[in-house]
Amino acid sequence: MTREENFTHIGKPLLRKEDRRLLTGHGRFLDDVVLPGALHVCFVRAPHAHARIAAIDTSAAVDMSGVVGVFTGRDLAEWTTKLRLAPPIEGLQPVEMTTLPVDRVRFYGDPVACVVAEDRYAAEDAAEVVSVEYVALDCVTDTDAALADGAPLVDETLPSNLVSQQSFSSGNPAARRADAHAVVEARFNLHRHTHVPLETRGCAADWDAGRAHLTMHIGTQTPHPLRSQLASRLRLAENQVTVISPDVGGGFGQKIALYREELTVAALSRHLERPVHWREDRLENLTAASHARECHCRTRTAVDPEGRILGLELELMEDFGAYCFYPANYMARVVAMILTGPYRISDYAFEVKVALTNKCGNGPMRAPMAVTSWIMDGTIEAIARQLGLDPLDVRRINALTQDDLPYTMATGEVLEDITPLETLEAAASKIDVAAFRKRQAEARKQGRFLGLGFCSVVESTTYGSAFYKAAGIPGSGHEAAWVRIEPSGAVNASVGLMGTGQGYETPLAQAVAEGLGVPPDLVNVQMGHTDIAPYGMGSRGGRGATAGGGTLYLCARKAQERVLTIAACMLNLNEPTNLRLHDGQVERMLDGRWQCTGVALADVAKRAYLEPTSLPEGISPGLDVSLTYDPPPMTYSNATHACEVEVEIATGRVSIDRYVVTEDCGTVLNPVVVRGQQQGAVAMGLSGALFEQVIYDESGQNLTATLADYLVATACELPDFEIFPMNTPNRRTPAGIKGMSEGGVMGSIGSVALAVSDALAPFGVVVEQLPISPQSLRTALRGKRPETGEKERME
Amino acid sequence: MKETDYKVTLSLIVNGETRNVRVLPQRLLSDVLREDLGLTGTHVGCEHGVCGACTVLVDGAPARSCLTFAVQMEGHEITTVESVARDGELSPLQQALHEEHGLQCGFCTPGIVMTFEAYLKENPTPSTTEIRDVLSGNLCRCTGYQNIVAAILKAAATLREKGVE
Repeated sequence: MTREENFTHIGKPLLRKEDRRLLTGHGRFLDDVVLPGALHVCFVRAPHAHARIAAIDTSAAVDMSGVVGVFTGRDLAEWTTKLRLAPPIEGLQPVEMTTLPVDRVRFYGDPVACVVAEDRYAAEDAAEVVSVEYVALDCVTDTDAALADGAPLVDETLPSNLVSQQSFSSGNPAARRADAHAVVEARFNLHRHTHVPLETRGCAADWDAGRAHLTMHIGTQTPHPLRSQLASRLRLAENQVTVISPDVGGGFGQKIALYREELTVAALSRHLERPVHWREDRLENLTAASHARECHCRTRTAVDPEGRILGLELELMEDFGAYCFYPANYMARVVAMILTGPYRISDYAFEVKVALTNKCGNGPMRAPMAVTSWIMDGTIEAIARQLGLDPLDVRRINALTQDDLPYTMATGEVLEDITPLETLEAAASKIDVAAFRKRQAEARKQGRFLGLGFCSVVESTTYGSAFYKAAGIPGSGHEAAWVRIEPSGAVNASVGLMGTGQGYETPLAQAVAEGLGVPPDLVNVQMGHTDIAPYGMGSRGGRGATAGGGTLYLCARKAQERVLTIAACMLNLNEPTNLRLHDGQVERMLDGRWQCTGVALADVAKRAYLEPTSLPEGISPGLDVSLTYDPPPMTYSNATHACEVEVEIATGRVSIDRYVVTEDCGTVLNPVVVRGQQQGAVAMGLSGALFEQVIYDESGQNLTATLADYLVATACELPDFEIFPMNTPNRRTPAGIKGMSEGGVMGSIGSVALAVSDALAPFGVVVEQLPISPQSLRTALRGKRPETGEKERME
Repeated sequence: MKETDYKVTLSLIVNGETRNVRVLPQRLLSDVLREDLGLTGTHVGCEHGVCGACTVLVDGAPARSCLTFAVQMEGHEITTVESVARDGELSPLQQALHEEHGLQCGFCTPGIVMTFEAYLKENPTPSTTEIRDVLSGNLCRCTGYQNIVAAILKAAATLREKGVE
């Protein structure tokens, strides 16, 4: 793909267009959407992890003031179809779910009934008196129990709780192990998280009985795929449903799927012929929206005496919860696929298992593959520890260099235009490792324990349609856009993405401005309305910039060609060669420099719309251009994170003293927005690694149902992040864009875990389980004393 | 008795104007502001007083509107985010949050604006540590806080300059 190296608008640090409305209280979020006469719903949720629904008595609730009706799974089963997930993926069990459970609940918080009332207070009060008779059943709350012989089945239609299992081998890792100088084993257990967008889920469904049309207001990352799902589950045609996403208060992967509550609300609006509004409360969001992560991983690595990796084997077991809104291998697959990342490893095998348990179902959360970089760099650290080598040297000896690129990973993924060794060396140099080691040694003498952790990241982004095809996942990775120059010369554009706070409006306007040749403030990018935006695949998997920005950029270039064709005619030229649109003015190359022609975009637009008889032969009236674009199967960004910590031995408190990121995410549309994404991703990773944890007790009760129990990092726990951009454009994408915003989570989880292990090396403590809470560190440290006279590490 | 019989008439002073509403006594201040008065800039993030998104000023001091019944507020001055920008001009704090990219999704932002509109009056020369300490009452899931802290420092400096003028 051809690329202009010097951009006029791409890469400029413009401030965000969204800010003004959000700062002044004029943002419009879902709960700000008021539909006249709307009813409000409240869900009745299961207090058991696993139970049979024996009876539901709604009479007391129905009699309450303001209550319109109470509905159960049987009602929804009549009005909607089941979700069936059965992609042709080897080792993946097909699953089905009804819109609401009919006879059995599978986790604490499973919705069993829905109260509809005149307002939310009445609905909540009535939900209290819906009487559900349950027969409690045995439950499984971890993967060991789930896979034990005779374990109760989470999904009775399956032969076991093992819902997915895939294995892979390239080269001959077993033979490498047999011949190796040493075999190094390491474990990595990542706990259960949840997304915690500050705005919970919610929707407002508005069925127009006269037109037989549903308008669904809902904060979503993926308006068009959600519309397809809604239409199909309600047995409506896709042109009978409009999805409108207002401003969204954070998504992080939680606002992709069509959830059961949302489908219920839509079905109720149609049934009652009234608008119906639902806003999830925080308890529901923490216990019943979507969870993420929770996997147990083990690596076995064959190495030579210098720490060179000869073969690598991964075992991964994910705890998927009770329901599959995504194919159960969806997230774990990517971890296994990109594990080797920054390193040259040709002999590689994995076995990935996914088990159902009686917990809230899993979904993708910002960096579904978050654990990857911790596993890989943690494995490197384990090698260094066992062989007595400098862990940075072990990274260096295995790192991919520019000579290795393009590099086909053992799994077949192709890496190109990445810089793993360069980001590593840059991060090491920013930190000044020798100076740190000196400080660390001094501190240890005083009984203070400092640690330094490095974590290199190769981040999969964009996910083109060829990825979906190869993975067997239904869906596509292409994107669609239109650019319309209005008769006055104002520019509207649209794309199938939907932001959830990233700040798309400015960078995407920059992509359009660059392609078209106008100032970015002239461009209005409209997103989130399925009747306005073209059918696109939405926002997920770091695809916003490459798929969304790339498509808009290409579409705008096509629009510029049209403008110039008309302009050439207006200037009495035969061809538009040697013309360009710049700053909204048509310029002509004369005597080796661009010169003004006196024709502006507005003049061309006027001609196109209002004087179509004067248009050149073969040019149709108007200036409305659309385009679809399918990006490469995958683009890769890379980074190295370095984290300095101090661990207080008496309390187990971890404080972060310094945090450095060197990141290469290709051409950047807007560095202000990109930096914000980098900071936010690192923050989310650190918050997860140190504080957040969904906890279930052995009976399957969720013990972290408030924000006082599920702890999200505050401003006091997080440091300032020092971020150093290193931008190598991707050769295959428009403008060299790569995609980013998830890698920060991958790198921060790994770097902080490895930093704490480094700090605790004198105690012989290695972090194998996250979160790194004070309690877990105290447990690990209890009764241990630091080794004295420890040999200084060689630098 | 019908539910409406329990309703009480309240007179609230919101953003300097007297507003009369007739509501059930259990109605939260956050819901009255948002639903009865249409001031939807105040956001509800947790309804248990942790996230800080619903922060408004009561007699000039930050308060959680999700933990306050509207009936408690008679005779008190309530200030919401809608009143902060004057004549279309952002306050120095709002302007600094814009310039420093101190917001992303913007859901937590009104709560942060209200907290620090009050705090910067109380402490015109805050240190980074003091800012982070006060900010810890507002959760932000998007930014990692760094740019919010930078914005508040900048706003404090701007306000000091304006005070000198």
